Amino acid sequence: MSDLYREQLLEHYHEPQNYGVLPEADVDVQLDNPTCGDTIHLTARLDPEGRIAKVMFEGHGCVISMAAASMLTEDVVGKTPQEVAALELHDVEEMMGGLRLSMGRVKCALLAVNALKKGLRESGRL
Amino acid sequence: MTWNLEELRREFPILQQQVHGKRLVFLDSAASAQKPRAVIEALTTVYTTAYANVHRGLYSLAEAATAHYEEAREKIAHFIGASDPGELIYVRNATEALNLVAYAWGRKHITAGDRIVITEMEHHSNLVPWMMLAQERGAELAYLPVTAAGELELTALPPLLADGRTRVVAFTLMSNVLGTIPPAQELTAMAHAAGALVVADGAQAVPHLPVNVQTLGVDFLAFSGHKLGGPGIGALWGRRRLLEAMPPFLFGGDMILSVKKHSATWNELPYKFEAGTPAIAEAVGFGVAVDFLSALGMEAVQQHEQMLVAYALERLPEVPGLHILGPTHPHRGGAVSFWLEGIHPHDIASVLDSEGICIRAGLHCAEPLHARFGLPASARASFFIYNGTDDVDALVAGLQGVVKLLRR
Ligand SMILES: Cc1ncc(COP(=O)(O)O)c(C=O)c1O
Repeated sequence: MSDLYREQLLEHYHEPQNYGVLPEADVDVQLDNPTCGDTIHLTARLDPEGRIAKVMFEGHGCVISMAAASMLTEDVVGKTPQEVAALELHDVEEMMGGLRLSMGRVKCALLAVNALKKGLRESGRL
Repeated sequence: MTWNLEELRREFPILQQQVHGKRLVFLDSAASAQKPRAVIEALTTVYTTAYANVHRGLYSLAEAATAHYEEAREKIAHFIGASDPGELIYVRNATEALNLVAYAWGRKHITAGDRIVITEMEHHSNLVPWMMLAQERGAELAYLPVTAAGELELTALPPLLADGRTRVVAFTLMSNVLGTIPPAQELTAMAHAAGALVVADGAQAVPHLPVNVQTLGVDFLAFSGHKLGGPGIGALWGRRRLLEAMPPFLFGGDMILSVKKHSATWNELPYKFEAGTPAIAEAVGFGVAVDFLSALGMEAVQQHEQMLVAYALERLPEVPGLHILGPTHPHRGGAVSFWLEGIHPHDIASVLDSEGICIRAGLHCAEPLHARFGLPASARASFFIYNGTDDVDALVAGLQGVVKLLRR
């Protein structure tokens, strides 16, 4: 029916990976998208070398924002904060299986990665 | 059926295209309407035969352009029941019209302790200008509440008018989210009896039902040409007496009568409020769009849309977990907002897009109204003259597909 809503994406939406709150997190951040009411609460822990060890999220929003968050929690493990900071829309689209997002949906897809960047900055890792 | 729908659709070139291989089902006219061929051709005609700046040139081409520009103004004024075209000011859109009133009238008349009354169902463009005015002047901004059924809580108005502090009551003639048509005459009479002016936001009403400023009795009416099939332009109508007492909104060319090094005097109405080179061809196209609707008849337009609303209100509940916002009787406008349990409105719009169906999803520039209903966003289908029951059928089938795809 829709190119956007392929199976892989819907699986992440219906059964999100790493859903919840990480105890004793190094990064703990909340980000909202007021124009559509999407919200995300993201927690992350870093390993002794400063790389992302684990990320968890909770929140609510559209398929794109929630699936992107779920995929991100898997994709960024092992990355340095600098590598996370360098992630762009193109990388998020690749991470989501080579999606091409329409202008109106870009903000949804970037919510989680922007939250992680914000959290890394606020916790002094960036 | 009020007119032959297939024939009418052929007048709208954009509707002939396919989207993702499907017939284009356009259900977002409340945001901006599609343009009939007559309007599109009028723009070409202006640019190919009669374009020059207005009110300036002494050559015949400029005179022709000015004549077309002024003729359109007369038609638009007549369309809303105004007898004096000098009371009709061209602006960019309804938003600019409302800002014009809030600045030029508001900053002259609103002082500390005054009250401005608006409603919870206002579009941001009839809300934020008043909010800013109230903040700047230390005035109070009060809201008429919206009931759970999506109507205005009229009993809340008399107490707000009782102390004589209310200077202006501003409300929409039709909610762009709920489709509600507030009782404008009644509200206006109450406001006037308390010495308050009435500013009507006609952005949704003027394209979809007969609006007559004389019968309504309002003092200002803001509306958009682009929502009634015209190009990107709008208009403000106001009572001559009020407009004359108001200072200009923008300063510069055309709005001036005479300029000395340290003083200036203003041009007569409506030019006092039309500073700079206006949207000339757009104004002509606005007039043609008004002709197009007048030929159909605004009573017939309203009747057609009420038929579609009645049909939509009957069919939409077939979709499991669908909730309609606003009145569930058909005496309402053709903007039908709804939400689906467990599915974000953005996803509804994206999935429907793949079926060639265009709807709006989000806050529709009415965030306080969505907060009133505890919703982060909603989806909206809105009708115009070129929509038919086949569009409602496509919408319902599309929504069934959305549910099948996204709900588990
Ligand atoms: C009720 C209402 N008022 C005002 C506006 C603003 O119109 P415009 O965007 O043309 O300025 C709109 C449409 O967006 C509307 O629906």
